[in-house]
Amino acid sequence: MNDQNIDFSMVLASAVHDMKNSLGMLLNSLDELRSEHEESLGESSRFNTLQYEAERMHNDLVQLLGIYRLGENNLSAHIEEHFVPDFLSEHLARHTPLLQGLGIEVSVEAGDINGFFDEDLLTGVLNNTINNAIRYTRSRILLTAGQRDGYLVIGVEDDGKGYPESMQHTGTLNFKSLDFKSGSTSLGLFFASSVAKLHSEGGRSGSIKLHNGGSFGGGVFEIWLP
Amino acid sequence: MTDSKADFNPFGKLTYLVIDDFENFRLSMRQMLRSCGADKIELVAHANQAIQHCTYNHVDVVLCDFNLGEGKNGQHILEELRHKKLLKRSSLFLMVTAETSKEMVMGAREYQPDAYLTKPINRAVLEKRLGALISQRNILLPINREIDRENYPEAISLCLQALPRQPRYKTWLMKTLGDLYFQLGDLAHALKIYDDVLAQRELSWAKLGRCKVLLAKRSLDEAVDGLRDLLAKHPDYMEAYDLLAEGLERQGRPTQAQQVLEKAAEHSPNALLRQKHLAELAGSNQDMDTASDAWRRTVELGTHSIHDNSEHYLALGQTLADLSEGDLEEEGAQKAKEALAVLKRMEKRFDGEDGISLRSRIVQCRVYAGQGQDQQAARILESIRPELQDTAAMDARTGLDYAKTLFRLGHEADAKQLLGEMSERFSDDPETLQKIESLLDEPVGFRQKIKARTLNRDGIRAFESGNLQEAAETFSKALEIVPDHAALNLNLVQVLMKKHADDPGNPELLKRCQYCLNRLTGLPEQHRQHRRYIALQRKLKGLMQ
Repeated sequence: MNDQNIDFSMVLASAVHDMKNSLGMLLNSLDELRSEHEESLGESSRFNTLQYEAERMHNDLVQLLGIYRLGENNLSAHIEEHFVPDFLSEHLARHTPLLQGLGIEVSVEAGDINGFFDEDLLTGVLNNTINNAIRYTRSRILLTAGQRDGYLVIGVEDDGKGYPESMQHTGTLNFKSLDFKSGSTSLGLFFASSVAKLHSEGGRSGSIKLHNGGSFGGGVFEIWLP
Repeated sequence: MTDSKADFNPFGKLTYLVIDDFENFRLSMRQMLRSCGADKIELVAHANQAIQHCTYNHVDVVLCDFNLGEGKNGQHILEELRHKKLLKRSSLFLMVTAETSKEMVMGAREYQPDAYLTKPINRAVLEKRLGALISQRNILLPINREIDRENYPEAISLCLQALPRQPRYKTWLMKTLGDLYFQLGDLAHALKIYDDVLAQRELSWAKLGRCKVLLAKRSLDEAVDGLRDLLAKHPDYMEAYDLLAEGLERQGRPTQAQQVLEKAAEHSPNALLRQKHLAELAGSNQDMDTASDAWRRTVELGTHSIHDNSEHYLALGQTLADLSEGDLEEEGAQKAKEALAVLKRMEKRFDGEDGISLRSRIVQCRVYAGQGQDQQAARILESIRPELQDTAAMDARTGLDYAKTLFRLGHEADAKQLLGEMSERFSDDPETLQKIESLLDEPVGFRQKIKARTLNRDGIRAFESGNLQEAAETFSKALEIVPDHAALNLNLVQVLMKKHADDPGNPELLKRCQYCLNRLTGLPEQHRQHRRYIALQRKLKGLMQ
């Protein structure tokens, strides 16, 4: 049985695809459960954990698939013009039940500007970033958007302790910088950085920045898109 | 950003249709819609109910799950609704999917939904997304109404008025404008729209639109280069493959066009029309293996599609008949068997379609003949002959296929007579004329066709490099395969005349010329080689005097 030419990454990708869809169904049921049993579940921390962790796995799988397609050279940014405040508030809606359950306050600070980006790819990045912020914030999350130095900058700020020194950086990440030994692989950041890089215009391309401060003095994630 | 929902409920006025095979999902969708303020909501589980409902009711918003289990999926429903014009442009069609990447599921060629909603969907997502789409719909309603009425000039002027006032919908307006100018044939304005967008930013949809206009303006080279460039950056942009293939075909590069479509079909194998295009192209390139694969896929994809057609089954049957002809090994027998099975399936599926059994038997006849079952083939031919007595009423496709069968079964005179009659009857239909010519020229199997064509090319090359002896030999070899091929015979005549000019004392050469020209007696006047035939005949007469 040596003639079985197994393309292992293809097998993995299909499995990830299935798992991701299952988790989607699971998350749907969780949303329904929450709205059906609002009284009893609203404050339940166990239920919040359940939803948060399921959401996290879902994001990871979405990113895995994205990175797989990136490796296959089958992922490109379909850039269109979008009205940024609409995009952000539509996006935030997905997280509303969990945020309410956790008692986290969210707001959007964005001017009436248009931006150029691939909606699907950026959704993937923001899902992951907001999920991260939910994990590390104390009580507040702020989404920002504005024009700086000719770039569209979308930011996610929280009022947690901020990023540790080792994680704060600017620019692009490459695959080698992923550390699979430490608990956090930074897979999400690698994905975000790759998505940013796929956005290019003229000679400029996008990047991500991590630092502390912002309106709440916590962690600030920024994606800069040309 | 404040919305005054207190005095105006945008959800309330509209009618909704929810399509999902899971009852739980349907109910929870209704629950969510109601809590957003919607009222008139219909729930159905399957495609047929959905189409039925839209036939008799006006629907403003369709929320359709992509995966509906067995049978039609969401894309099939969308295509059918738009194709039958059961859904207006002013209505919204939202595809609900479990996928994050739309190209992975769809890659459809024609109809795209207004939006994709990715599961999981909660109430807040639905309210935001659908709310935004509804207010967009309301603002753009006057434009879409004019488009539904096909009053494009009015739609264009409404778009132009909206542009400065609705910066939020700029992309939609520019895309629509480009498309409307294109539909109207106003290519200069269409091009200007795309150039305006591109001057600001290199957006792939505008590049695609620009190349589409260039193709229409017959700037083929520029269009093909632009599309290649676009695909280098966006290898997942399916529409660009389709356009590039079209451009290459029109440049006279059918082999390259086929390669482009093969690549596209690899990326996204589920678009029926693309598979069909690939099948046709491969067939005319005599690449029968690729053609049969693509026809097989086209037939499969047709099962639930509005584009399903008996012609696809016939084409698959014809291609398999070609492949199996004279191949009595297991592979050939297998293909012949498949051809007969496909034709049988077609007769069942399209039962009642005019002449379907006849068309089927014309192909069956060749399949049996190709497998050496001559008696069976002759029996079928006898059964169809009486039905085809009245050649004047025969449509082009049936006639061509019947002539092919007559050739295969050795009834050359009948075949030629039929094609002669047809070239008169279809003298103003260039496409049919060309098919008649090809069949008259090459009434042989595709493997022999390829051999003869290769020899013809080699002969031309030898002639061009001045090697007359080799050219004459090569053309003669090709003519052993297809003795009636008009262009080939004339090519040989030209070579021999040239040889005669160098060697005027040799009467043998002119005799051979006469022999070639005699073969073309009865060449229909409509044949593209007819004028050349007459000219060479005259020249030969002069030489013989």
